Amino acid sequence: MKKQSFTQSMAWLHTWGGLLLGWLLFAIFLTGTLAVFDKEIDGWMRPEVPAYTGSQQDALQRAVDFLQVRHPNAPSWNINLPTERSSNLSVSTGEQRRGGGQLLDPTTGEPITARETAGGGFFFRFHFTLNMPRTIGIWIVGVAAMAMLVALISGIVIHKKIFKDFFTFRPGKGQRSWLDAHNASGVLLLPFHLMITYTGLVIFFLLYMPAAVDALYAGDRQAAIDDLRGGAVAQRAARAGAVNPPMADVPLAPLGPILTQAEAAMGPVGGLSIQNPVRSGARIEVRPVLGNRIELTKGRSMSFDGVSGAVLRAPDDSRPSLLTQRVMAGLHFAQFGGYPMRWLYWLCGMVSCGMIATGLVHFCIKRRRKYAEQSPASRRFHRLVESLNLAAVVGLSLACIGLLWANRLLPMQLPQRGDWEVRVFFIVWAAGLAHALWRPSLRGWVEQLVLLALLCLGLPVLSLATTSEVPWTDPVRLWLELTCVAMGAALLWLARKVALRAAVAQPAPRRAAMKLKEMHS
Amino acid sequence: MTRSVPQSKSAWRDIAMRTVLAILGGYAFTYAFTAALARLLPLAPVDALIVATLPSYLVYTVAVLWAFAARSLRQAWYCALLALPLALIGFWPQLMERIG
Repeated sequence: MKKQSFTQSMAWLHTWGGLLLGWLLFAIFLTGTLAVFDKEIDGWMRPEVPAYTGSQQDALQRAVDFLQVRHPNAPSWNINLPTERSSNLSVSTGEQRRGGGQLLDPTTGEPITARETAGGGFFFRFHFTLNMPRTIGIWIVGVAAMAMLVALISGIVIHKKIFKDFFTFRPGKGQRSWLDAHNASGVLLLPFHLMITYTGLVIFFLLYMPAAVDALYAGDRQAAIDDLRGGAVAQRAARAGAVNPPMADVPLAPLGPILTQAEAAMGPVGGLSIQNPVRSGARIEVRPVLGNRIELTKGRSMSFDGVSGAVLRAPDDSRPSLLTQRVMAGLHFAQFGGYPMRWLYWLCGMVSCGMIATGLVHFCIKRRRKYAEQSPASRRFHRLVESLNLAAVVGLSLACIGLLWANRLLPMQLPQRGDWEVRVFFIVWAAGLAHALWRPSLRGWVEQLVLLALLCLGLPVLSLATTSEVPWTDPVRLWLELTCVAMGAALLWLARKVALRAAVAQPAPRRAAMKLKEMHS
Repeated sequence: MTRSVPQSKSAWRDIAMRTVLAILGGYAFTYAFTAALARLLPLAPVDALIVATLPSYLVYTVAVLWAFAARSLRQAWYCALLALPLALIGFWPQLMERIG
């Protein structure tokens, strides 16, 4: 790449950087898009939990009644309440806060056993750790996100006709159409692509770029974080020093007013924990659901006296600089704005996936003829890229829907069933790669797309056959299955398109032989 | 327009050098830039920390682009070399402590 113009060098960087990290980026974007509905997918994966439409207050009372009978002497109770997005009511005792715990039927308060499952959280975890050890995964995803940012900016540079391309789509013209689709999806949602990539990096900003921590805090990240949270930490330390020895049994303050008060101050409530329950010195900490506002407020809470019900600590506000970072992180997490916003993020995410996929496909289509005329080594390289494209795009999609099928089909009593679901995910992905390496490129695309479409279309049938409930009793489940069917139909259409092209692209002698066969039969 | 297959060994070496400069040199530059900015901003340390770190991803992006856009390898080096004086500003107190 000597003596090239600026545009040419940017085009080179966009092409090769985009190709080498595009496979990984597609996986990150697709699982991230699915993670927009992680709680809903999680609900689908635990059909034993009945849909709940009652009030949080009633559910809370049932949880407290349950804990009072079963764990009257526990040092603390934790309760996760059902929300707009989830019917899960779970309780636990002791320090453990997240995950696990005993699921309760929110309408009756009876304990229920749901199947062991990886849950919708799998897509969320895969999105930022790739199912690797946490720190390693976060760094690899960070590198991919940087590559995305570079690809976006270099992509803008090579698009001088950015405004014109906005209105250009020439369908059914082979190579041109793929490039148009890539450009249109890229340009149309450019603000979204930039925003989601940049804010993704901002979430772990001190981990990726510790320079300022090293310079100003001598590398002590904990000190920096304590300083950032300022007030909250000081209060927490003061509280730790003043622990009253628990004494006589005292009934809990009425929880209804506490819930109402917390909701007024922080927005919808996600759960609460009670220290020294039903004793003097009881203390209730109420947590909001993540994201009642754009700001991402992890670890935000409000404390009440568990006996009198008085407010002990109001939720603390972030300082402006921290608020900036948290709003950016919140823009990435998309927990604000309710379902309309969630659908918008989902659609935009799907367009991002489409942009990456069409970019990958365009790389191959543009070079197909050129590589065919070159050395065997470059033909082999081209073939490998084509196979990896297929495995990365359709193979991964197969793995995602495969996880949902595994959730219904694996035997209930299988030990570590959740781990097995994840294993099925990776086995399906590996099978997709093997198939992509084995089959001729276009045929491989058609076959995998058809399979993917059928798995999507068949999901409601599978669900109906393996669970006792009908889908329309639970709106979340109904929406999920309808969306799957819609995607299946779209994929079937796409498969047909590719199949028509595959028929045209078949080498002439074989086509002639086939025609001969047809004539004889 | 894009030259997808490098024609010669020297082209490969050029690409390898630029890639290393982009990834490692670019990070070094960004790191030093962020440290210097955090040191120079007339804000409380907490605020300087965030204000200096948030734009660092854009700085890194520009540094990566520079490594590939520079007319020659020598020019591509400039960005990475700028890290030294910037680091000097960012870690000035630590350096004085070490010396004095």
